[in-house]
Parts: sequence; C-alpha cells; structure tokens
Amino acid sequence: MNRLALTRPLRRAQRSIRERLPNFRVHRSGVLAFLGVLGPGLIAGLAGNDAGGIFTYSQLGAETGFSMLWILPITTVMLIVVLEMAARMGAVSGQGLGDLIRDDFGIRWTLFAMVVLLIANGSNIAAEFAGAAAALEIFDVPRWITVPVVAAGIWALVVFGSYRLVERVFLSVAVVFLAYVVSAFVAGPDWGEVGRALVTPTVHFEPSFLLLMIATVGTTVTPYMFFYLQSSVADKGLGPEELGFERADAIMGAVWTNVIALFIVVVTAATLFGTGITLTNGAEEAARALAPIAGDFAQALFAFGLFGASVLAATVMPLTTSYTVCESFGWESGISRRFSEAPVFMGLYTALIVIGALVVLVPGMPLGALIILSQNLNGILLPIILIFMLRLVNNPRIMGSHVNSRWLNVVAWGLTGLVVVLTLVLFGTSLAGWLQ
Amino acid sequence: MLFLSQIIGRPVLDRHGEPFGKVRDLIVALGERYPPVTGLVVRVASGRDIFLPWSDVESLDASGARLHTSSINIASFRQRPNEIRVWLDLQDKQIVDVEGRKIVRVNDIQLAPVRGRLRLVAVDVGLAGILRRLGLSGPGERLARALGVEVENYIEWEDVDPVESSVSSLKLRVPHQALSTLHPADVAHIVEQLAPRDRTGILASLDDERAADVMEELDAEDQVDVLEALPPERAADILEEMGPDEAADLMADLSEERQAELLSLMQPEEAEEVRGLLTYGEETAGGLMTTDFITVRPDETAQQVIDRLRQLAPPSDRTYYLYVTDADGKLEGTVTLRGLIIASPETRVADFMRPEPISVGADLDAEQVGAAIARYNLLALPVVDEDGLLLGIVTVDDAFERALGEGWRKRLPEIFEPAEDR
Repeated sequence: MNRLALTRPLRRAQRSIRERLPNFRVHRSGVLAFLGVLGPGLIAGLAGNDAGGIFTYSQLGAETGFSMLWILPITTVMLIVVLEMAARMGAVSGQGLGDLIRDDFGIRWTLFAMVVLLIANGSNIAAEFAGAAAALEIFDVPRWITVPVVAAGIWALVVFGSYRLVERVFLSVAVVFLAYVVSAFVAGPDWGEVGRALVTPTVHFEPSFLLLMIATVGTTVTPYMFFYLQSSVADKGLGPEELGFERADAIMGAVWTNVIALFIVVVTAATLFGTGITLTNGAEEAARALAPIAGDFAQALFAFGLFGASVLAATVMPLTTSYTVCESFGWESGISRRFSEAPVFMGLYTALIVIGALVVLVPGMPLGALIILSQNLNGILLPIILIFMLRLVNNPRIMGSHVNSRWLNVVAWGLTGLVVVLTLVLFGTSLAGWLQ
Repeated sequence: MLFLSQIIGRPVLDRHGEPFGKVRDLIVALGERYPPVTGLVVRVASGRDIFLPWSDVESLDASGARLHTSSINIASFRQRPNEIRVWLDLQDKQIVDVEGRKIVRVNDIQLAPVRGRLRLVAVDVGLAGILRRLGLSGPGERLARALGVEVENYIEWEDVDPVESSVSSLKLRVPHQALSTLHPADVAHIVEQLAPRDRTGILASLDDERAADVMEELDAEDQVDVLEALPPERAADILEEMGPDEAADLMADLSEERQAELLSLMQPEEAEEVRGLLTYGEETAGGLMTTDFITVRPDETAQQVIDRLRQLAPPSDRTYYLYVTDADGKLEGTVTLRGLIIASPETRVADFMRPEPISVGADLDAEQVGAAIARYNLLALPVVDEDGLLLGIVTVDDAFERALGEGWRKRLPEIFEPAEDR
C-alpha cells in the first residue's frame, strides 16, 4: 500500500500529466503516503456521501430524530457485502466492472448497462452541481457564479492540473467530511441516547418513514462506488494474495461512510427534530435551519461539508463514467489524448460536465427535485448492476476459487431481492408524486 | 465478407437438410498467419454442446452450416492444445492493436477462405462491428457516415496481441511475438494502457535487454509497479541492462529493503555503480549523471582509441565525447568524436585533446547544471569530485528533461491540434 488511492481514470490523468513533465518524481511520502494508507475502499466511501446522501441523511434526522438510527448498522453491512465483492473481483480478475460486463455478457448487455450508467451518473453529476450551488447560496453566492466556476475548475483541474494540485484538492475535500463530526458535537446531543438508538430497532409503518428508509438504503449503496472501487483495486495491481487487506479496506470504507452518515443524522436530529421543520428541497435547507438553533458556525460547517462533498463527487464521477463507457467499447480513452485522438472520451467527459452544469442553471430549476430524481435513477441502476455483479462473482472462469461462498450468496441475493422491492416501491411512489 | 456474429446462432443442417442444432462457436488452430477453422461447436436440441471436426462440415456461411454426415461420432473430436474457441476466447475481449499501438476491444471477427480453408483473417474493432451485432448495420452506418464518423476498422490477425487478464484462454497467452517487433517507446505506450497484471506479463515475455529498453521509457510510477511484480532475480537482470542512472532513479523510488535485495542479486560491478549513484540527491549533478562513459589515456594514439571504440561499439550518445583521465582517474581533458577522426592515426591523445575541460561538482544544483550545458553548448558535462576524479557525466537530454519538468507547459493547444511528438 504505497500508492495514491484514486480511480484508474484519475491516476491515468495524473500519469499523463507526468508524461508531459518528464522528470516529475513521485515521492512516496507526506500527503501521498497518507492517501495511500486510506485505500480505495475509503475513497469510495467518501465519494459515496455526495449531495444526495447528505440530503437523505439530513431528512432522516430531521423527521425521525434518533429513532431510525438502527438502520445505519444494517446499511453498513449491506455496503460491506457489496464493496467486498467489488474489491474481490478487482483483485482476482485485474479488471474493472465495465470490462467484465463486456467480456462476459457481450455487446447488447454492455450497451444496456452503459446507457443506464450514463443516465444515472449524468443525473448524479447534475445533482452534485445542484448541491454545490445550494451550499454556496447559503453564503449568498448565486448559483450562476458557483456552477460555471466549479464546472470549469473541475474540467481544468483534471485536464491541466498538476499531480500535486489534484492530490491537494482531494485531501482537502476529504477533510470537509470532518465538518459533520464537528457540527455533531456543536449540536451537543445526548450521546447515550444515540448509542441506544443505534441498537434499538423501531418500525413506523407510515409511508413517509418507509420511503425515507428506502431512500437511506438507496443513497448508501450506490452503483457508482462499486465501479470506482473495482477499477481502483484492479488498477493498483492488488492481487488475490492481498485479499485480506482488500477486505479490510472495503469494510473500513463502508464503515467510514456510515459513520459520517451517523453524524449527519445526529446533527439534524439533535437540532431540527421536533421543531416541525421538514426538509423537502435539499440538504442546504438543513444548513439554513441549523443557524437559529445551533448557531451560524454550525450552519457554515454544514454548508461547507455539502459543498466539498458535492465537488468531490462531481470531480470523480464524469471521469469514471467516461472511462467505464469507453473501455467497455474499446474506444481510445485518456485525458492526455487530444480531441481528435479520443473524440468519444473527451466529448463524453466534457459533455457530462457541461450538461450537468447547464441543467442546474436552467432558470427556476428545482434543485431538490433534481437530487431526488438522480437518486431514483440510481435506485433503478442498483439492482441491475447487483445482478451483473453476482453473476460475475460466481463465474469460476473469472473468479477461480474466489467465487462467493454459499452463505454470502444467500445474503447477497437476498439483498438484491430486497433492493429490487425497495426500488420498485420508491420508484412507484416518486412516479405517482410526479404525475400528480 | 463473413463475420462470426453472422454465424453464431444459425441453424446446422445434416446432409438431408434436417435440423441438427445451432452454431455455438468456431474452433481455430493457432500458429499459422491466418488460423484455419478446424471445428464447430454445435448446440443440439437437448441443450448439450458437441464438437464437430471441420471434415464433417460441407459449408458454413451467414445462413448457417451444412454437414456431410447425418450420424455424428461425438467422441471422435477433441479441442487440441493449439486450438481456441473464437467466440468464447476472443469475442468482446481486449487485445493489443500492435499496428495502432493501443488497446482495443474485439467487436467481431472476420473470416474468409484463404488457400482453400475458411480462416480467421482479421478482428473488427470498429463501429461497424458493434452496429452489426446490435442489428443496426443499415441505419446505424448511414447515420455514422452522415456524421463523418469512421465506421470500419479491422486489424489483421497478425497485428494482434492478447491482453492476458481479458483473454482467458491460456493458449493465447504465450506469444507477444508481434510486440517484440515494435520500438521500445511504442511497447511502453501500450504497457501504460494496460492493467498492472498485464504489464508484467508483457515485460516478462521480452528478453532482458528489450525489457530494459521498455522499462526506461515507462514513467516512474509504472516502472516501480512493474518491477515490484517481477520475480526479484528477473528484476535484477533487467536493472543490470538499464543505464546506471535510469536504474538508480528507479531504485530511489523503492523501499530500502527492496533496494538492498535487488542490489545483492545484481552483478557486483553494476550494483556498485547504482549504489554509488543512489547516494546523490535527486536535484544535483550527481543525481542526474550516468556512470556510463568512455575514458581514454593521454598517451594512447588516435588509431588505438578508434580501434577500441570499434570493439566496444558503444551507443551513439556515449561516443560524442571521450574523457581523458590519468592513472588515478583524474579528468585531464576531453576528446570529441570529430577531433578523434581528423587527427592523424599516430597522434597521441594528449596532443589533440581539449585540456582543462569544463566540469562541475557532484552536489551542484540540477538547474545550474542545465544552465552550464546550455551556456557552453555541450552534449555532456563531466562531474568530478573535490580531487578532480571523474565520477560521471550529465548528458544534455537528461539535463533538459529536468529543466522542462520545472516549467509550466501549455496544454490547451495540444488538445485541439496535432503535435509532432505523439
């Protein structure tokens, strides 16, 4: 573990930058070593807590207080099961998930999976821009400034930026998640109560609670994370002999994601629950609502975290999406390529950012609805990708002796079935809401 | 033109025209320039796959297969060691396009009769293959043409090299023959596009000298990856073949234990040079220099030096300057290749060398080394210790690489316009 834990896309981009600066030396110390220790699972976890995630966790806390905290250990286990499979596949096959789908299912299924991925991640990218815009609107920065600046910054960072710059941006963005830990302590909840709630399941059979539960599962287990993690493990060249480490890393990533989620729920539960405030439009509402109750500092911290999380996801997502699509079709890819060399890749990468940004800038665009829409699309993608993953992870031609054990298959297929049902409920409800 | 995707799933009829099954896969024998089809995998009504030898097949085209026989001896045919199943082993897999020097995906496989046999002639890596398999050939190709997109892209079978983690068939993994014909920089370009596991496979298949050449073309991070994945003995062999400065730069990125292990496995002489270079800071003359240079004695004649050069046959970048040292290794002068050639054969080196050459100390800052080379218009600059003993030389390209690394390079124009260097 002495490598920078970034996606294959990002690492390639950085490599291309170094190619242009021929004597650029990689020093395995300081920041780089620190990120290396974090591991791909941890970065996947960080990227998974994006604008939509923060919104959902805020809602969970504001509307149900601590009473639904018990769901977090369960989603953690779900995430562990899936991330472990992704890491194992990356390690054993040495290939990304998109590669394996193409290798094994042929072109029609690949086309299907990629179209779904493009739609889901495309809408995600728009949702991240929405999150970043909403976060800065709290500081009175209008979205027509935030969005173009962030979009241009992301594009330029990857295309022109130096290795060190990308590295620093990643590290500082990773730190913003600590903002939620700090805000949770600023909010000052009864920690004993938090501990009890974590292990005491209480079920409400009202539709709004049920929906919130589904949304929490959907936002925790996001397909984007598996693609990221598997490519990242494959790209690091970690082999089956290091499976123990990869498991630990995946578990750590899953736990970390949900620890942050826990703090977000605690912040909003401790401050907003019981005040009659409901969040309908986005996570920034939570930040705004915090100000009169927990002070301007808590509000600023919360908004800062939202902005950082959105930008992190918006940076990695277009890259990973473009690489996955191009590699599964065998198109030339790489940020170091010119438009004429890799037209699809560069076109797709640019288009994802530009369209994502433009959607948010449409006058009167409801940002909250955009985030919810992107979550629904991810929900549809999730079972599809899970089924692909389970078929692949149980294929001895690919996995050899590292196929799933029987009990793991029972858990994983059970999980997939559950997700299918939850997704259908969520999608049906959202559709009904939209039609009204 | 016949494509694999047009055959798979088509009906197989026996000699009476009765349905027998469906085409499931084709078997080809590797080894020839265009591998011949040697058998057919047929899915019969019961859902089983059976193998048929090519001798049982009368015809095969886009409408399906027709057999000579109606009674099949199932046990008579087995897949032989040099044979692969084309659909299973090749379709949709990643391969190296040796000609285009990049990694591509097999969208379809082209078959044609060559010398009396149906053979695998090319792989289709273009949009046409994707559209054909999606059943959108007609409208898709018209649309693509209207947009000015290149639809067809075929690679001849002999210009194809397997990517190991994608092509699961063991039989395909052996060769990498096509790759060995490429320039090391092109191999490095391909290697960089591959997953780490495949990189090592390619490096391992090359001989030490070629592997070292390719290694020198890789960037630092990939060098480390590849080296770490190779068995230590093999890694040491490759390091020996690399330039000592390149080897030292690479070793500087490894852990100390790993350095010690590799150095102990290298030939003592090479290991000593690398060990010496490792002691210098990266941003100094010592860190930039190589210990690969040629020395001559002041009392040798021009003819003797030329004879020795002929014998050594050194790479071109080491012949421009020869360094004149005394018995202790103290630098006394330099001789240019031009000076050597125009001197009459019996002249002693001391008489035509350039005395009091420009030299720098090993701890001089890299930037100043570059400045010195630029100021005096040198191709290489000798590095000496306090006593004037020659330690190594910094070549102009090594110094320039360092200098360029510090400047901000404009990226934008290169994205949109072709540059000469790629």
